[in-house]
Amino acid sequence: MKILIAIGGREFSKPTLDLGMKIANSFKSSTTIAYVGKKISQFSEKDVSVVHQNLDDRELYRPGIRTLEWAYDFLISKKYIEEKDSNKFDDYLLVDEENSRMKVLLKGQQSDKIDLIMRTGEIIEQLKDEVETNKHDITIIGGGGNKGIHQKLVQFIDSSVFVVKNYSVNKKYKILLPVNDSKGSDMAIETAINFAKSYKLNVEIVSVPEGKKSIEEVEKILKKTKEQFSKNRIKTTTKLIDGPAVNSIVNYAKDDSIVILGVSPKNPIMKYFFGSKPLSIAQKCNCPVLITK
Amino acid sequence: MNESYKVISSSILFWFSQKKWFVYSVLISIFLLNLSTPVGLTIPAYHSLIILLLVFMLVTFEPIPFPAIALLTLVLQVVLGVAPPDVVASSFMNDAVLFVMGSLMFAIAIVHQGLDIRLAKLIIKIFGKSKRMFLAGLMTISAILSSFLGEHTVIAIMLPIGLSVIKNIDTQQADGKNAVLLTLFSIAYGTIIGSIGTPSGGARNVIMINYLQEFSNVSIDYWKWMKHAYPILMIQLVVAYFVLQFTFPSSLNNIKMRGFKKNIGKTDVKKNINHLFSCLIIIGIVSSWFAFNDIYGLGIIALAGALTFMIFGMISWEEINKNTNWGVILLFAATISLGFQINETGASSWLVLRFNELLETLPSNSMNVSWSIMAVLSGLTANFFTSSATVSLIGPMAIELHPTDISFALSSAIASGFSFLTVISSPTAMIIYSTGLVSTKMFFRVGILMFIISIIILYLMSQFYWVTL
Repeated sequence: MKILIAIGGREFSKPTLDLGMKIANSFKSSTTIAYVGKKISQFSEKDVSVVHQNLDDRELYRPGIRTLEWAYDFLISKKYIEEKDSNKFDDYLLVDEENSRMKVLLKGQQSDKIDLIMRTGEIIEQLKDEVETNKHDITIIGGGGNKGIHQKLVQFIDSSVFVVKNYSVNKKYKILLPVNDSKGSDMAIETAINFAKSYKLNVEIVSVPEGKKSIEEVEKILKKTKEQFSKNRIKTTTKLIDGPAVNSIVNYAKDDSIVILGVSPKNPIMKYFFGSKPLSIAQKCNCPVLITK
Repeated sequence: MNESYKVISSSILFWFSQKKWFVYSVLISIFLLNLSTPVGLTIPAYHSLIILLLVFMLVTFEPIPFPAIALLTLVLQVVLGVAPPDVVASSFMNDAVLFVMGSLMFAIAIVHQGLDIRLAKLIIKIFGKSKRMFLAGLMTISAILSSFLGEHTVIAIMLPIGLSVIKNIDTQQADGKNAVLLTLFSIAYGTIIGSIGTPSGGARNVIMINYLQEFSNVSIDYWKWMKHAYPILMIQLVVAYFVLQFTFPSSLNNIKMRGFKKNIGKTDVKKNINHLFSCLIIIGIVSSWFAFNDIYGLGIIALAGALTFMIFGMISWEEINKNTNWGVILLFAATISLGFQINETGASSWLVLRFNELLETLPSNSMNVSWSIMAVLSGLTANFFTSSATVSLIGPMAIELHPTDISFALSSAIASGFSFLTVISSPTAMIIYSTGLVSTKMFFRVGILMFIISIIILYLMSQFYWVTL
């Protein structure tokens, strides 16, 4: 499994980085930590590039590098990377790759499972390109900022998207898994099983009767899902909730929930203009939400 | 749902989400093309104004690359019958375009020489007695250099000097944060203010000189421009110093001049010779701008500067090619070409006529009102559209307002240089913003005061000083 963690400002990115690395560690996956720098006007892009190169040559200041250095130090402080004299951030090499991508190579030996990269430009375009080029399975991003970004990420990025909202390092979390009989829901169940197994989390399976579905049919889905978890020796509880799907799930989710949802099967054009239920839940919930693809 | 349908519709949606402003701009243009031509305008003139609007939208929102906007501008001029192909081609290249090309290459060659270390020593020697003097010195030297060499050259040289003194400042504390902002803004404002000082300070100045020569047959040489603009520059510098000291009060205790002096201490003989040659070339080029711009034009002299660096092997063509923004050169060439057609087709006269009619409806209609509107409009447009592109497109209108009075054209070009409001307005603003140490809100908050004061200074100088020249 390959995980992409997108970071921005230092303080805001701490929970994203922490949760992202916990997931990466539990899945033993390779991780790319990406800093996407501010979009530069085409008028000034060459000037900015010359100045940044100039600053870097003089070991003065490289925007983005300091954030990645902070991220690297954070990983060492949390023991995600073993601290050695040889893997200090002081001596780095910036490799200019294609499509506004720069890879930071540390001269000492570092974990081959963690890549540090810098990209410059429009965030959706850059993350989409990163996921397509390096085939990441999950993109993890902070919950702050413009909500439109999350919608576009889910819509256009070809990986699962984890929006880390109000995550606290010290809190004990449980998985909240809303299910129905869609293909997206099957993927969410599979991911939730992996998460619960690796991360040792309790799971709460919920379902909302929608449309022509009878309560019996919904209970059958809940039962079937519970059995899948039982086979993997994961503790679950099930609950049938009434009311409109989005609001019921949003109200049911607590601060200590990690909501895992499947992507909507709706037509992409309809999703772009009118949104979808998973997107609305991700936007309204005040806790981390993973939309699987 | 069919998987390939999903992939295709998703790709189209992504293209639309990234290029929506291109789609909107084209739709608006098609709509305008289908309206009847306004009374008093010829069809080519009307079409040139539609292309102008299209270029404004595309450059502001950048949905497609600049070279694509440039090519679209040229193609549309011919396809929509604004001008025949030969006329479009001949208006595409002139001294202003050569100046943009030459000054960008010359800037890369200068920055490549590492003159910042030498300059830092000089600043320390002259202004190193106190930290406040040092910041004033950074601002003044930035302004003087920028007035001759242009913003993009000077900010690239001065920023490393500024950042080396604030390298380890803790920005969590207000005093430290203010010291960082004071240093960065001193360099940025010095550089921005300096760019109005001489024709070579910015491409917009050269574009306006070219337009004045072509449309009004008025010639402004290097010295004449300086006489008009340099006093404004000096007053602005003093004002900016106090505005920044007031906005970012700091004890400056965190600024480490000692570490800075140690860092710049080492130079070798080879570097010394290289720096000496670089300075001689720079002095030679600036002197040539003074002495020979009437004969050779500013563009050819700028190109000669880049050429000299290449001949002496002080920079390779690969380095220049890699760092030159060819897209901007193409865009300026295309917008200048459009500017010529807007004038030739009579579109600028028609716009000025409508503008004057609008002024007549105001209770007090005078030269001062039309000057103020023109100056503020130039300044504001430049802040949202970048200065040189603004002058290349609305310059013909500024001249048309009073073709024989150069104060309108000069004011429009100078006001376009007041890039204090937005980070997209100039390379300096964008570079300072790209460090991540200055936010767009912060830039606007400080800049709004500087913008208003600068317009007032420009007005007073045009009213009371320029008339004495």
